Amino acid sequence: MAHKWGLAVDLDRCTGCEACVVACHAENNIPTAGEDQAARGRAKHWIRVERYWEGDFPNPRVRFQPVLCQQCDEAPCEPVCPTYASYHTPEGLNAQIYNRCIGTRFCANACPYNVRFFNFYNPQWETPLQLQLNPDVSVRSVGIMEKCTFCVQRIKSAEIQAEAEKRELKDGEFTTACAQSCASKALVFGDLNDATSEVAQLANGNRGSKLLGELGTKPNVTYLERGSWQDANKG
Amino acid sequence: MNALYGLYVDAPGAQRAVDALRAASSELKFNTRQIVVVSGEPHEGYEFTDSHATSSPYRWAVLGATIGGTTGYLLTTLSQKSYPLFTGGMSLTPAWTNGIIIYEMIMLGAILTTLVVLLIGAGLPNFKGVITDPEIGKGKILVGVVDPPQNSQAELERRLRLAGAAQVKQSTGT
Amino acid sequence: MQTKAEQIEQDLLRPLFHSSGKYWIAVALATSLLLAGVAAFCYQLYNGIGVWGINSPVFWAFDITNFVFWIGISHAGTLISAILRLTNATWRRPITRCAEAITVFSVLIGAIIPLCHIGRPWLAFWMIPYPNQRHIWPNFRSPLAWDFFAISTYLTGSTTFLYLPTIPDFAAVRDAATGFRKKIYGVLSLGWQGTPRQWQRLETAMHIMAVVIVPVAVSVHTIVSWDFAMTPVPMWHSSIFGPYFVAGAIFSGIAALILAMALLRKLLHLEEYLRPIHFENLGKLLLTMSLLWFYFTFAERLTTWYGNSPPEMAVFWESIRKQFAPLFWTMVVCNFIIPVPILAIKRLRTITGTAIASATVVVGMWLERFLIVVPALERKFLSYSWGTYRPTWVEDVLMASSFGMMALLYLLFSKFVPMISIWEMKVGLHAHGGVPVVAAPDGAVLDVAE
Repeated sequence: MAHKWGLAVDLDRCTGCEACVVACHAENNIPTAGEDQAARGRAKHWIRVERYWEGDFPNPRVRFQPVLCQQCDEAPCEPVCPTYASYHTPEGLNAQIYNRCIGTRFCANACPYNVRFFNFYNPQWETPLQLQLNPDVSVRSVGIMEKCTFCVQRIKSAEIQAEAEKRELKDGEFTTACAQSCASKALVFGDLNDATSEVAQLANGNRGSKLLGELGTKPNVTYLERGSWQDANKG
Repeated sequence: MNALYGLYVDAPGAQRAVDALRAASSELKFNTRQIVVVSGEPHEGYEFTDSHATSSPYRWAVLGATIGGTTGYLLTTLSQKSYPLFTGGMSLTPAWTNGIIIYEMIMLGAILTTLVVLLIGAGLPNFKGVITDPEIGKGKILVGVVDPPQNSQAELERRLRLAGAAQVKQSTGT
Repeated sequence: MQTKAEQIEQDLLRPLFHSSGKYWIAVALATSLLLAGVAAFCYQLYNGIGVWGINSPVFWAFDITNFVFWIGISHAGTLISAILRLTNATWRRPITRCAEAITVFSVLIGAIIPLCHIGRPWLAFWMIPYPNQRHIWPNFRSPLAWDFFAISTYLTGSTTFLYLPTIPDFAAVRDAATGFRKKIYGVLSLGWQGTPRQWQRLETAMHIMAVVIVPVAVSVHTIVSWDFAMTPVPMWHSSIFGPYFVAGAIFSGIAALILAMALLRKLLHLEEYLRPIHFENLGKLLLTMSLLWFYFTFAERLTTWYGNSPPEMAVFWESIRKQFAPLFWTMVVCNFIIPVPILAIKRLRTITGTAIASATVVVGMWLERFLIVVPALERKFLSYSWGTYRPTWVEDVLMASSFGMMALLYLLFSKFVPMISIWEMKVGLHAHGGVPVVAAPDGAVLDVAE
């Protein structure tokens, strides 16, 4: 059976440390925007930790919600791209093909989660940080859209390895950079089509819900939470 | 292009001239096709010409629209089938969205066909030279004979004047 | 003694052969605006779209606002020319070419803007379905692909619609000109003679074009509106956008036409041809469109407010009460509160009055486009990633240069092509017994001149 990559985000475990954000930057050659550009709203984080405050003193509560590309089955960003730069792979990923992108930014407008980012300038790294770039991931030039790919370079690398060794991929054999770096194991990555995988069991559990599920995008990222916050958005 | 023509102040006068020329065509040995009428604007309700424009431009436009629509259909459906990429969960050949492209191609087909039919039907671009007169710009209508036979010219001139020409001239065309 | 036909030809050909100093100053100003825009675009091309003010999540702002604005202005010519031709409204005769010219040039500008606003403009040709080895192919599901086909068709159609009735006038210029000019206009007129067969064919072709261009125009702006409505963005995802945008386009188009006519009248001394009755009739149309615009805006906002859906209300209050409230209420004043009294009261519906109303409408309609695009993007679903937008000088210059380009194209057009259709004015003479009259659509003779 073909793979269907998914992610489970456990909101009860997330501490808001943002190690996932840093790991994603390192793995995927994402430059920091700099103070000026960030102030203008151009900070680029393929995964970001959203922080919401509830309640007042003396019992304020803070929620951390890591938001990344939901790899929707019915992604609103896909039909609107005029050059098929945003398209759906057979393994359930919403892929962004940098070479095809002409930068109309329509996909970013259509995305309800605001997880698509545009290269407003050519990326720059202060020396010596350019030595740290990941050779498995392309550096995107100006005018191109980018977003979380579920670390497709790691997926491809593991699949190629497994095929070369003539065996099946095992759950937990590899994972995305964000899931790898999460200290509280809030992020779990794996194959949703493999019923024995951890992510499939979590996604089908009773704590799971989808972010903005009512929009019908059918995301492959499941948010886990014991509580009434997401009740209305179940499914 | 040589022409002998008269200038008439209004359409009824031009009609008389055309009728007179048609009546004299066999006698003075020229073909009715050599009769030329030139005006600075269209005149409704007068029979200046033998040939009647048929309703074929409309049919051609419909044909052009059909060709455009078929092209649009083939363009969208064939290319989508040969390069199968499902996006956003939509079907491979979504009829409604392809329909928008097909609609625009229908319109484009009708437009281009109308343009081509006009150019061909009106004989444009015309490389043969035009018979024209400054008086046409002032509202007069030119009625005459192209390449009139040499020995009939005097009689032609008389007939043109009889029909009420303000002037009768000879031109070599431009 | 001059006949009326002779006078028409003389008056309408005069601008082609004589130009005042004021004209050349206007051309110089328009050219410098355009060149400033070209420079700003080169700067943007070199550095990246980062020189604009757009950010995450406001990825479209001035660029798309201007795109929709110019495509909207283009609906002037279509309505006036095509529909008035089809309904045999004789008062349209002096107006048609001014209107058709506005259409062609504003569609041209509207077509250039998307090519310039994308991240990699040098690859814009990928929108064309051409056979290639790289598997590059447009996605026909995308509203931008629909835009490409619709705008190409509309540009082709409106250029044809403008050119066909100009052929006899090019012939008139050819006959009146000498030397090099005669040759050029000889080529442009394709050797037109003016035989009855040619006139018949031309009128049939114009009739077909008038029938075809109206649905094309409606579809073009509907498809442009679907650039927004086909996304799930709150307050973009609205089924009213199709008709709303078409009505708004016709509204802004008529306003632009009135402004252009008022200017032409003064600059080219066409007072005998562009008469108060024309401005009156167009003013009545503008009034109708203002009321229609208000109806659509009210219907959309009322249903949003009554529905009370939180994502939509976030956008709604931004426009009505919060950040964009000054712009929103200015828009209402410009589109409705100022124009309606001016256009409804007969005493105020003069040339000056309609021109003032049109000027406010043009401003108001630009604001309307802006207020559709930006507030909805600033306030999408997840409130953590809400943003704000502020334009930079590059976007301001690019916008100004689009107006400069329009002005330049129009000025050059008036220099090389008779702005009022000579042969159609002569037909108008014959329709009323040899005296230039101006007729109301119901056929009543309203004005008789010497």
